[in-house]
Amino acid sequence: MMRRKWEWLIERLIQLAGVLAIVFVVLIFAFLLKDALPAFREHSLRELFAGQRWSPTSEPAKVSMVPLLLGSLYVTFGALVISVPLGLATAVFIAEVAPARLREALKPTVELLAAIPSVVFGFLGLLLVGPLLARWLHLPVAQFAALGSLMLALMAIPTIVSVSEDAIRAVPRVLRDSSLALGATHWQTISRVVLPAARSGIVAALLLGFGRAVGETMTVLMVTGNAAVIPMGLRGFWRPVETMTATIAAEMGETAYGTPHYHALFAIGLILFVITFVTSTIADLAIRRTLGAAR
Amino acid sequence: MTTARVTALFLLTAAVALAAVGCSRPTSTGPNSMGAGEQTIRQIGSTTMLPLAEKWRSAFNAKHPAVSIAVSGGGSGTGIKALISKTAEIADSSRDIRPEEVQQAQSAGISPVSSAVALDGVAVIVNPANPLKRISMKTLSDVYTGDVTDWSAAGAPGLGAIQLVSRDSASGTFEVFKEKVVTLDGTDRSRDYAPQALKQTSNEAVLTLVGQTKNAIGYVGLGYVNKSVKVLALAPMKGGASIMPDEATVRDGTYPIARKLYCTTNGQPTGVLKEYMDWIKGPEGQEIVKQLGFVPVGQ
Repeated sequence: MMRRKWEWLIERLIQLAGVLAIVFVVLIFAFLLKDALPAFREHSLRELFAGQRWSPTSEPAKVSMVPLLLGSLYVTFGALVISVPLGLATAVFIAEVAPARLREALKPTVELLAAIPSVVFGFLGLLLVGPLLARWLHLPVAQFAALGSLMLALMAIPTIVSVSEDAIRAVPRVLRDSSLALGATHWQTISRVVLPAARSGIVAALLLGFGRAVGETMTVLMVTGNAAVIPMGLRGFWRPVETMTATIAAEMGETAYGTPHYHALFAIGLILFVITFVTSTIADLAIRRTLGAAR
Repeated sequence: MTTARVTALFLLTAAVALAAVGCSRPTSTGPNSMGAGEQTIRQIGSTTMLPLAEKWRSAFNAKHPAVSIAVSGGGSGTGIKALISKTAEIADSSRDIRPEEVQQAQSAGISPVSSAVALDGVAVIVNPANPLKRISMKTLSDVYTGDVTDWSAAGAPGLGAIQLVSRDSASGTFEVFKEKVVTLDGTDRSRDYAPQALKQTSNEAVLTLVGQTKNAIGYVGLGYVNKSVKVLALAPMKGGASIMPDEATVRDGTYPIARKLYCTTNGQPTGVLKEYMDWIKGPEGQEIVKQLGFVPVGQ
């Protein structure tokens, strides 16, 4: 009797915790929306998305998100270019190739990379990697988009490895064994049977890595130079940029409540939220599909 | 489920609920009278003043171990915000408080009282490999608005394009430099920093970057200057000889980019806070100001 009541209570409490999570997300979205909407009234869509300069403190204010959107895009794209091949290769190695003992050592080491605080990566980039790269590649200044990409890649790799590896492991033994039995080599099995079967999970891993990279603030604040210039072509990777996240972090501290600058920063926050929300949702749906496919 | 797990889950949910409730209550700290039990002073703001604040804290603590002082940076704007939201007792700022900020403070029930605790010059620095020794205020202003982009037009031919290093907008140093240099001492407010200026988050970061980059120019609080960079002499707007920043020229105002450093409190300080503020303005606090390369505020 008592046990039944206890069960019911526990179930309700767990439900509450779950519901609270959804409530928090909705509240955050509402909070962002409330202070971001005025920005769309204060500035035309043309100025916001087709203008050239982000300079909300000048008179007259120039509020265009273009340099910031492109800054984030360059840095994130570069991070994916580095982390996706490395991450996937590592995941395949851990899941399929490595002998058991090496696997036991490798998994925690990769996870350790995820435990390093982002400000440490910022430090490393600012004081060590940046100056080194600037010297080798004869760059004008030791803070540039590709440096941000590199440090972000180090942060995205553990996410990609973890989720991809789980997706690859989730592929049923039956598929692997059948392929090998039919005479395929190990690599043929991996590339033509296992990876396609784990496709959804791998896509999810990549999207999560993307989400991690686009939302990172501290590291890019320290190493990308924070110059809100529109990056041009391939050269743009080797020049300073400013990301959306760094703009909010750097400028929110001094902005008075309720001013157009304040609303513009919230608008950036809203766009960031929407980007990460959409990619996380797609990633989640993709993961469910992979796990469901384990028939 | 075991009893242990049930308890843990219950505690977790309770914690979440408490956090949600607790976050809606405003932080209740009274105004500045430090009563008998309450001896915490939170000093937040200017990164220029951060080394000063830290040294003040440790020296004052040595004499008054019962007082706990917490010091942090974030920029002048952040400090004033913290004062207004009652999360700091002292706001450090390297600029004057703005009329909008005074208004916000008053509508939050805070009456800001600022006290000058030191004087500071903003030094214009270049890489030691740069042959330039002096620059006029007008040229400096044009460099920072992006009207002059090559070192040959600024007096150092052969060095190539100018790499601008600046601060982020929460910084008081950023404000002072904008007011005195970029807008030509406030005469042309439509002038603004060029977008290609690299916004660094602290004086130290500016120092490091200029020290590393041959064609860079930057500005830092005078107390931060060290051997890794070279200071330029400035020729004032109205003409005349170029002046190097030092204690004398900052104090008598001949150096064009000089400013007061302030500690702002809610109302006139009383109790322990008053003791601390008086100590800062007294001989020991001012000796520390001098040690760190700032200029003591004269009697």
